[in-house]
Amino acid sequence: MKFQELITSFTSQAEAMGARVIPAARPGEIGPKLVEVLRPLGSKIALVDSPLVKTAGVEAALAGAGFNVDKDGPEFARQADTGIVEFEYGIAETGTLAMDATDLKTRLAAMLPLTCVALLPAERVRANLTEVIDAYLERGPWPGYFTLVTGPSRTADIERSLTIGVHGPERLFIILVGENGGDSRGR
Amino acid sequence: MAGKEFKQRIHRALNNDSLRGALGRFADSYIVSREQVYAGRDFAALRERIAAIKSDAAGHYEELADRFTRAVEARGGKVFRAGDAAAAREYIYQVAKEHGVTDIVKSKSFASEEIHLNEFLQERGINPYETDLAEWILQLMPGERPSHMVMPAIHLPKEEVARVFSRYLGEPVEPDIKNMVRIARRELRKKFLTAGMGISGANIAVAETGTIVLCTNEGNARLTTTVPPVHVAIVGYEKLVPSIKDIVPILEALPRSGTAQPITSYVTMITGPVPAWRGEGEGIKELHVVLLDNGRTRMAADPVFKEALQCIRCASCTNVCPVFQLVSGQVYGYIYNGGIGSVLTAFFNSLEDAVDPQSLCIGCRRCAEVCPAKINIPDLVLKLRERVVTKQGLSSGYRIALHGIVAKPKLMHTLLRAASRLQGPVTHGQPLIRHLPLFFSNLTSGRSLPAIAKEPLRDRVKRLEARTGRPRLKAAFYSGCVIDFAYPEIGEAVYKVLGREGVQVTFPQGQACCGAPAVYAGDRETAVKLAKQNITALEEARADVVVTACPTCAVALKKDFPELLAGEPAWEERARALAKKVKDFTELVHELTGGQGKKVKQAKKSGSRAVKVTYHDSCHFKRHLGLDQVARQVLKEQPGVELVEMQESDRCCGFGGSYSIKYPEISAPILERKLKNITESGAEVVAADCPGCVLQLRGGLDQKGSSIKVKHTAEVLAALENLQGGGNSK
Ligand code: SF4
Ligand code: SF4
Repeated sequence: MKFQELITSFTSQAEAMGARVIPAARPGEIGPKLVEVLRPLGSKIALVDSPLVKTAGVEAALAGAGFNVDKDGPEFARQADTGIVEFEYGIAETGTLAMDATDLKTRLAAMLPLTCVALLPAERVRANLTEVIDAYLERGPWPGYFTLVTGPSRTADIERSLTIGVHGPERLFIILVGENGGDSRGR
Repeated sequence: MAGKEFKQRIHRALNNDSLRGALGRFADSYIVSREQVYAGRDFAALRERIAAIKSDAAGHYEELADRFTRAVEARGGKVFRAGDAAAAREYIYQVAKEHGVTDIVKSKSFASEEIHLNEFLQERGINPYETDLAEWILQLMPGERPSHMVMPAIHLPKEEVARVFSRYLGEPVEPDIKNMVRIARRELRKKFLTAGMGISGANIAVAETGTIVLCTNEGNARLTTTVPPVHVAIVGYEKLVPSIKDIVPILEALPRSGTAQPITSYVTMITGPVPAWRGEGEGIKELHVVLLDNGRTRMAADPVFKEALQCIRCASCTNVCPVFQLVSGQVYGYIYNGGIGSVLTAFFNSLEDAVDPQSLCIGCRRCAEVCPAKINIPDLVLKLRERVVTKQGLSSGYRIALHGIVAKPKLMHTLLRAASRLQGPVTHGQPLIRHLPLFFSNLTSGRSLPAIAKEPLRDRVKRLEARTGRPRLKAAFYSGCVIDFAYPEIGEAVYKVLGREGVQVTFPQGQACCGAPAVYAGDRETAVKLAKQNITALEEARADVVVTACPTCAVALKKDFPELLAGEPAWEERARALAKKVKDFTELVHELTGGQGKKVKQAKKSGSRAVKVTYHDSCHFKRHLGLDQVARQVLKEQPGVELVEMQESDRCCGFGGSYSIKYPEISAPILERKLKNITESGAEVVAADCPGCVLQLRGGLDQKGSSIKVKHTAEVLAALENLQGGGNSK
């Protein structure tokens, strides 16, 4: 699949599964986009550091806009409104995010708050699960805690009525970072 | 006969409107959404892969368990191999005790239910909290049974859930689903953050890496395995697969078959202990994997039932099961539901516990069509039935009917002839067939039964066997009991149509019941006897083909006979030779007419309008013989016939031979739905290729006073003019 096809498929699948994909052309755009979408959703942020988070200056952008950014401690992510985590791969076929989440903070930030923001470099989108598994097998020992996330947490346990946000996030934003990042409508 | 308590459960389920409504609505939409989610995918290839992986694994559990153990231990985790439920419970309890655990959060696990872990822990002062929303709701409702394997609380209306939550919180809760989900999040979050241990199951376990794979939509398994400092995973041996790549096809099928989703919201793969918050600071979690045997290795060593270990617990077999849809998992009981559930129960619990659940299967084979692990569920159920009979013997009614009558064809035929003389004039709703092997009692709710023919087919054939000069083909007609004694006119139609095509048809008088009633009752002994008698009789005919117009008989002749006689080489060979000659009537007509029909010759002869005919797919005809399209083609080519499709044409009619006698309360609503679909099709005639279906449908339409006529395909082909006249009562 060509790059653009991967991005288009990833985006449309992820949105079909209830995530919102927000393209950011450059890392520098991440901060302002975050400020914009997170403003109405509470000020407490649990942020997990990563190279991309650093280069993009996410922490400074959020703090500058008045958010309360938490990065550590025993209460990390427990009371946060939003968790921000960088994922390692996207899967075009199902609109899925993948990462080695062995690091505890990564997991807590992605699981506990009502809103989860996933940062994903666009060039990390792969066609299917097999390609992603291959990528990890090449890297070395299989990760301790490997996770695939597709859309927000959901249940249909009461009268089969689809309800989002049970135990995990009820909102999943995917910031797709890269020159060619774009949504299914080619924006 | 089913136990009294079991019958009561059926009765309660059938009378529970919200249960039936919810399951019915789900099942209807499931069929459509499953199709959609598999669109463009090669399901046949996918299930082959899964079946191959799982069946191979089932042949190597010991080796896989060793590899899995080594891999987990290499990472610092512990593996405990539990031989049975008691060992597993005790081990888990000891781990909890060692850590001074009082509260446990659990994500959905069949294995933990199978070993009755919750009760065990509670009795010892430890509180297990189910965190899957449906499981939690059921936990708050003592005595309530799960109704479905994947959606255990599907039967509860939101008002009921609101009452349960109100009781739990001690404050009024509105029946607003969104809000109730919030409440569950809030309440269970407290448990997640304070519990000393998390218990999960596993959807897959990878031997190569020591990985356990968990699929959830709610995200509770992630929290269960992340927040508490100790994680115990209960993993049945059947979850083991060799390598990490093997998870791909399973992950492709499980959510699609389960809930018609391309993937669950979360797929979590845990390999060894991982960091966790431990009291004072970040540390490494303690990981215990309990590998549960509890009957699984015994099953793997069983050449017949090993296949059931391929199951990936998607529940799609129950979603399409016409019986499950009516009675739900609350009736099957013992954790695992449906046909596959009865097989698993026989090994994980006991054969006795499986006796009633297995008897619910009507044998329609829909489940086998959709199973992503390619398990032949209905055949396994029959094998299980056979074992039940071997162990417990037949119930007295069956014994008299099968051993005393069916196994003695001469006696049976004499009795049938006598019965035809004794019976009074045909009256609506009057049970008239009492002695056909299919009828052991006279319950006939919702359906009239046909009279036993004054003159069975076997006595009429002398007049029918016209000598044609140089026949194209010599056929021996194997009529089966229903055509012989209830509907000889179907047999006459077969003679007429085949005669028209230049086939010389004979009727071997030594033929007897095909033995299907015995096979379906688990009575192998009678089935073997009948197989031999029929083989002898049909060999004597020296025909080119053996034609039958009953798909159940065709399956018996083609598939059951060689299997039944597998232990006796000489007989087996004869059975196989016979099996090769057997041909369904409609299939033969299709071949003889080369797909041309008689359209040209007869077309528009009378200039009369076309008759609207709808086609009912008989279960064995479609799913065993695979002739559903052949029949449609043959009918379409028949002049004067306009084929109109009904909804759900391949749904069972509810007959299932003696099933409709054993479980009339289940058979009746299945028939009801079929009749509704037939009526709504606007057809004047329903055609079917199975005399059993003809019997069931005629009976049902007759009771309704419907003018729609039911015809065997042979009758449609034999005499179109009769389609517009005549009634159903014959
Ligand atoms: S064969 Fe039919 S009745 Fe039996 S379990 Fe399968 S779907 Fe249900
Ligand atoms: S038997 Fe097949 S269809 Fe039924 S739960 Fe198992 S895998 Fe799914």
